[in-house]
Amino acid sequence: MDWSVIVEYKSYFITGFINTIMLTTVGVLVGMVIGLVLGLMNLSGKWWLRTPAKVYVDIFRGTPLLLQILFIHFAVIPTIWESMGMIPPSALFSGFVALSLNAGAYIAEIFRGGIQSVDKGQMEAARSLGMSHGQAMRYVILPQAFKRMLPPLGNEFIALLKDSSLVAIIAVYDITYAAFTTAKNTWERWAPYLVAAAMYYILTFVLSRVVFWMEGRLRTDAERSEQP
Amino acid sequence: MIRIENLTKNFGSVEVLKGINAHIREREVVSIIGPSGSGKSTFLRCMNLLEPVSGGKVIVDGHDLTDPKTNINEVRTEVGMVFQQFNLFPHKKVIENITLAPMKVRKQTKEAAEAKAMELLKKVGLADKAHVYPEQLSGGQMQRVAIARALAMNPKVILFDEPTSALDPEMIGEVLSVMKSLAQEGMTMVVVTHEMGFAREVCDRVLFMDGGVIVEEGAPEQLFKNPKHERTRAFLSKVL
Repeated sequence: MDWSVIVEYKSYFITGFINTIMLTTVGVLVGMVIGLVLGLMNLSGKWWLRTPAKVYVDIFRGTPLLLQILFIHFAVIPTIWESMGMIPPSALFSGFVALSLNAGAYIAEIFRGGIQSVDKGQMEAARSLGMSHGQAMRYVILPQAFKRMLPPLGNEFIALLKDSSLVAIIAVYDITYAAFTTAKNTWERWAPYLVAAAMYYILTFVLSRVVFWMEGRLRTDAERSEQP
Repeated sequence: MIRIENLTKNFGSVEVLKGINAHIREREVVSIIGPSGSGKSTFLRCMNLLEPVSGGKVIVDGHDLTDPKTNINEVRTEVGMVFQQFNLFPHKKVIENITLAPMKVRKQTKEAAEAKAMELLKKVGLADKAHVYPEQLSGGQMQRVAIARALAMNPKVILFDEPTSALDPEMIGEVLSVMKSLAQEGMTMVVVTHEMGFAREVCDRVLFMDGGVIVEEGAPEQLFKNPKHERTRAFLSKVL
């Protein structure tokens, strides 16, 4: 096994490392916005809000992410950009879009579950005090729902981190593509993939620690309120 | 204060309220009694439209709640509600539970809302609990906070939905005594309750419901001592 290829190709791995973090972070953040909107639509009493949200979630959860990436990169984005007379953006952009849209569908279900897990009496109490539905959501329901959503959101973050490797198929320079390219160019079989695996492992490990720590902080909310 | 005209309510094909007429006057304390499943809680929850009505009218302080043009949120600020399960906001401290609606709905300043909240907490005997979370309170204390929370909006009437049914027996008294002092101050109150002692002692009028209708109503002495209807007699003989 020749580890020197890693040093030789280290700029690939550094770029890949940064891109993987960016893809995952953007995916989760944009996915949370999409997920919140879809989750609220899904719980709405109006069918014309509920139906599109359900269709969206079903499509993105019912088809493989790999296929979604190909679809978005080779069909959807070129078609839209060309119709506006512009050159389609980079594969990295397609990666951002695909991961965000996909994460949005999964996070929508997390939001929906979180909101539904809050006792019905909370909404009733808030409404009985004259709050609008929106105010009750914002001040009473969502803060409680967020706490319960944190563990599944953390899991989604970790899952997305690993799934982001699929964008390598459209030649986005993430960790996986860096390893693949290095291996291909140097004929070194083991080292590039081992380094890539280690990078993913470190990232997921750190992430799971962060989630664990945040959960602990939220749990102690009540304990910190001991009378002065 | 509250006028109900020919109110009906269906859950699917089940008719829970079958045409109710009632009038709650200002400063009146009315209790609603009856066997479980008689529709008394549903009736109460229709008075602030927490339960959408199927037919009839609910007129609160001159506003017809069944009219789609009525701003229901505005009417609800005048109608407080206290729930069987308290429904305090667990993520907020006691004082924040009380100040939330006055600040967000009535747009009061934090200082004004907190001053009022402290005054109310003193009134229900819980001033020392202002900065703890609800989960650190006993059931009786939670329900007293819930009453303070309802009072913070300065409502014209308060609806109580079985306020002592979820409490351990030794905590019922503290909640009833807060309610009693509210009644003495002239608050308009509608109370769905199983506490016959409270209904008898504190209320001006008692409504007996069974099978989705008001079977009988009257002053407590009359209704408890001399019920006119067989169904009222049968119910009272079981609970008294």
